[in-house]
Amino acid sequence: MTQITPTTARPPAPDTLPTVEFAQERAARRRPAPLAWFRGDGPHILVFLIPLLFSFVLFSWRPIVDAAVMAFQQTNLVTPPEWVGLDNFATVLQDPLLGTAVLNTLYFAVLALLLGYPIPLVVAVLMSEVRRARGLFSALAYLPVVVPPVVSALLWKFFYDGSPNGVFNTILGWVGLGPVPWLSDPDWAMPSIVLFATWSAAGGTVIIYLAALVGVAPELYDAAEVDGAGVWRKVWHVTMPQLRGVLLVTFILQIIGTAQVFLEPFLLTGGGPANSTTTVLMLIYKYAFQSSMGGDYGAATALSIMLAVVLAVFSAIYFRITKSWSTT
Amino acid sequence: MTVVDRARPARRPRQAADADRGILSPSDLRRRPVRITTRLTHTILLISLIVVGLGPILWLAKSAITPTQDTLRQPLALWPNGMDWANLAEAWTRVEIDKYFLNTVIIAAGVWLVQVLVATTAGYALSVLRPRYGRIVVALVLATMFVPSIVLLVPLYLTIVQPPLLGQSLINTFWAVWLPAGANAFNVLLVMRFFDSLPREVFEAARMDGAGPYRLFWSIVLPMSKPIIGVVSVFAVIGAWKDFLWPMLVLKDPNLQPLSVRLPQLQQFIELDVFLAALAIATVIPIVLFVVFQRLFLNGAGMGGAVKG
Amino acid sequence: MRSSLTRGASAGLALLAAGALLAGCASGSGTDSSDGKTTITVAIDAGLEKEARANFDARVEAFEKANPDITVKAQEYTWTATTFTADLAGGTLPDVFTIPFTDGRGLIANKQIADISDLVAELPYAADFNPNVAQAGQSEDGSQWAVPIAAYGQAVHYNRSLFEAAGLDPDDPPTTWDGIREAAKKITDATGEAGYATMTSGNTGGWILTTLVNAFGGRTENADSTEPTIDSDPAVAEVLQYLHDLRWDDNSMGANFLYDWGTINQDFASGRIGMYVSGGGNYGNLVTQNALNPDDYGITVLPLHGDDPGVLGGGTLAAVSPKADDAAQAASVKWIDFYYLAKITDEDVAVETAKLAASLDQPVGAPELPIFNAEQFAEYQSWIAPYVNVPLDQMTPYTDNSGDQPLIAEPRTATQDVYALLDTVVQSVLTDQNADIDQLLADAQAQAEALYAKAK
Repeated sequence: MTQITPTTARPPAPDTLPTVEFAQERAARRRPAPLAWFRGDGPHILVFLIPLLFSFVLFSWRPIVDAAVMAFQQTNLVTPPEWVGLDNFATVLQDPLLGTAVLNTLYFAVLALLLGYPIPLVVAVLMSEVRRARGLFSALAYLPVVVPPVVSALLWKFFYDGSPNGVFNTILGWVGLGPVPWLSDPDWAMPSIVLFATWSAAGGTVIIYLAALVGVAPELYDAAEVDGAGVWRKVWHVTMPQLRGVLLVTFILQIIGTAQVFLEPFLLTGGGPANSTTTVLMLIYKYAFQSSMGGDYGAATALSIMLAVVLAVFSAIYFRITKSWSTT
Repeated sequence: MTVVDRARPARRPRQAADADRGILSPSDLRRRPVRITTRLTHTILLISLIVVGLGPILWLAKSAITPTQDTLRQPLALWPNGMDWANLAEAWTRVEIDKYFLNTVIIAAGVWLVQVLVATTAGYALSVLRPRYGRIVVALVLATMFVPSIVLLVPLYLTIVQPPLLGQSLINTFWAVWLPAGANAFNVLLVMRFFDSLPREVFEAARMDGAGPYRLFWSIVLPMSKPIIGVVSVFAVIGAWKDFLWPMLVLKDPNLQPLSVRLPQLQQFIELDVFLAALAIATVIPIVLFVVFQRLFLNGAGMGGAVKG
Repeated sequence: MRSSLTRGASAGLALLAAGALLAGCASGSGTDSSDGKTTITVAIDAGLEKEARANFDARVEAFEKANPDITVKAQEYTWTATTFTADLAGGTLPDVFTIPFTDGRGLIANKQIADISDLVAELPYAADFNPNVAQAGQSEDGSQWAVPIAAYGQAVHYNRSLFEAAGLDPDDPPTTWDGIREAAKKITDATGEAGYATMTSGNTGGWILTTLVNAFGGRTENADSTEPTIDSDPAVAEVLQYLHDLRWDDNSMGANFLYDWGTINQDFASGRIGMYVSGGGNYGNLVTQNALNPDDYGITVLPLHGDDPGVLGGGTLAAVSPKADDAAQAASVKWIDFYYLAKITDEDVAVETAKLAASLDQPVGAPELPIFNAEQFAEYQSWIAPYVNVPLDQMTPYTDNSGDQPLIAEPRTATQDVYALLDTVVQSVLTDQNADIDQLLADAQAQAEALYAKAK
């Protein structure tokens, strides 16, 4: 499925396509006549492609095109849609909540990056040095990822109870720190959500980093030691450069993932208090599914498209800048 | 599982996992300060991981059998007034967790089937049979990975409400969750990559023996694909288990809702201790699956390790 | 296997699969008058207990016997405002379904429910509806498009055991807002729990704010529902200041400011809240679903002060799908009369319903408002008196006085969306000590005006 559930870290895409083979093979083959195609494998290939085509045409390609079209229409499901040009975009841009949502989303992304980018790296580096029972460490780190996000969210919502008897407040009480309002205070709400989101997803990032770390050839470390490098220098001059690719990819994937955060604020605070945790995706959901006057699907798709464009531009700039940095 | 990329040399380079060293060499470790520091950091790390990773889940297990008042007033105490096993029974019967559990299983099974079907057939067609137009199809599939899924939410919803060929909506049917699951570009590319790594000679030999494309698929390619089908399956089942927004939109009938959709709504209707018991039950299966299939999970999650430079 | 055979087999399989997909059963919900009989689908609550379902089926049988040309099919359905249009377009709407008062007029204005006013006018009690209650289901010209089947008024629920712990008399709850403030402070000081709590999210913040504004003598929109009066009516600012003082000066509102209808019930039932305002009929949810100890439950009327105060009323309407044809509409109205209203108007049905509810440990006799008039209501209560299983004597502060209080209808225009705006205002006041109430109200007013303009 075109993963409708946004996460804060997704497995990265595989790297290259075997385009070299296509060209070779094509050169080796002569183009058969249409009848030969028919008698040959042609129709069978199509049969094998039917599931893919059915799924993608109906549930991926067509909806993408529909989204682009719907952004310029007024749809209410009962009467045929009418073209309204850029009205939907105007509605979205004039919504006072848009600025709030964008700022909240940025705030979330920055906090999530600060918390969720370096910590898994440190943990993974430490874990890579564990000789025995590394599996136990990996399992413990990945466990929060396995728990369904809805369960974690509801659990943490309870942990975040603002009264002195709340779970976290009780723990803070042991070290003499006062009760924290957590989700009930506009200043604390977003950091609380980020903390939860990081707990929930960091394990995946740890495992990815770990896999990359164990792939670093030991000869490189041997060579560095011959040059007299201590532990820190080995980490800085061997490990980091080798991880560069993974680090760059996880960075952009985290940005793209956090820009689409929905489940955590939706379940933990519903966008409050006072809209301090309303994100862009929650706004889209609100336009489409929370309007008692029927659902402004045009505005929802317009905002989705705007978000997609922003992310695409950001990704393009990012890949441009980092192209020169990666070790190709 | 290691995916052998054909562009790399045939001999796999030595990895730190095989070696007896990582960042720290054996000679480093012979020095006492290094050994002590290393052991200390690892112990701290282990304790931290247990507290942070396992802690909340253990708390949930404990609270599932604790009465409401105890959980509210002394959340971290261990059963000051005894355990309340009735919570679990009540969650299972009155709250009908078993029904929602079953729904989750049904949805996961259907999603698994659809995803494996689409990914293997498509991967086979594009990677083994290699039609001339294959490049276009792959490019189109790849392109969808760059579109944030939110863009699809509303049109997909409307497609389900008013499907093009059928006369009636698919809302409140499991098809609304099963069918869109197939359009997963990541799976297709994953399987394609795997098939690319399979030795062509086996296929040529089978073809020369007269095997048609279906025979080749069924008897040769599929049996060889067990590892990748395992990875796809794990992702599919976990993904379906965790899915929230989409089932919430299309499965309005409470009888069809999976746990992830029903639990937040249930919070309105049941008291805290039973609710926590329900949450605990909902967590058991994914965790059990994880513990049993650990290797598969972690290897699959670490696939990104293959992405370098 | 020979390749030509597999080729043929596979082509056949593909066609079969495609055919199977296309051949979805075409009979959706809706009416089917092909054999002279009219079939209607009616909504029932999801998750009914076995006996309740059996009872429902028995009622269906009785109805079909009395009306041999109508067939009734049940469909589990809970109406939600936000996906209603999708349900309508997708054909998953039953012919008869229930909607809350809040949404009645909006749906009628958009013609999203059927105009059954002529059919309703033919019912024997059509002229007897309590006008305050009936207006929720009426169109601009006063015709009854939806039938009221239940009504309640807002009330103050309080926890008797917390009252006792604070040294207050549980049989003598406060009758003024200052009294509530004092009681809240006493409860917090004595027990550490929230003395007074309020809902703030999922549109309930605006709903309760409007309730309090009405109780303070104000309104959130003008008389003909064309303009919001959020920043012009002084009662709104007064209520927010009151809440602000309770929260920041007295610190008697606890630590959770993101309550919605379900979560505040939960916390009240577990003894963490002294008093809160909500619909008068909450007893059922509190006791059966949230395990409230019935001995702890108390309910009293909203204190009223100011020039023109009133109690916000709510309730449920029965409506018919706009896609139902004439025959289906007639059948639907018959069903509404038989199933929903007979429980109140017919002694035998009322007794049977009460007996069944009592046997299932469902509350019988929880406070509600009369749909018709006070005499009919008293008569109804006498019928079910033997089966009442709620602590009526704990509810006298409410039941003795609710009849005297004027009822106010919910605001008519863009109700839920304005409530959503007000959610933010209430949340700000409760979570930001330095919130500028006037500025918040001015912003809300501006946004509400835009909504009112769109609705014209």
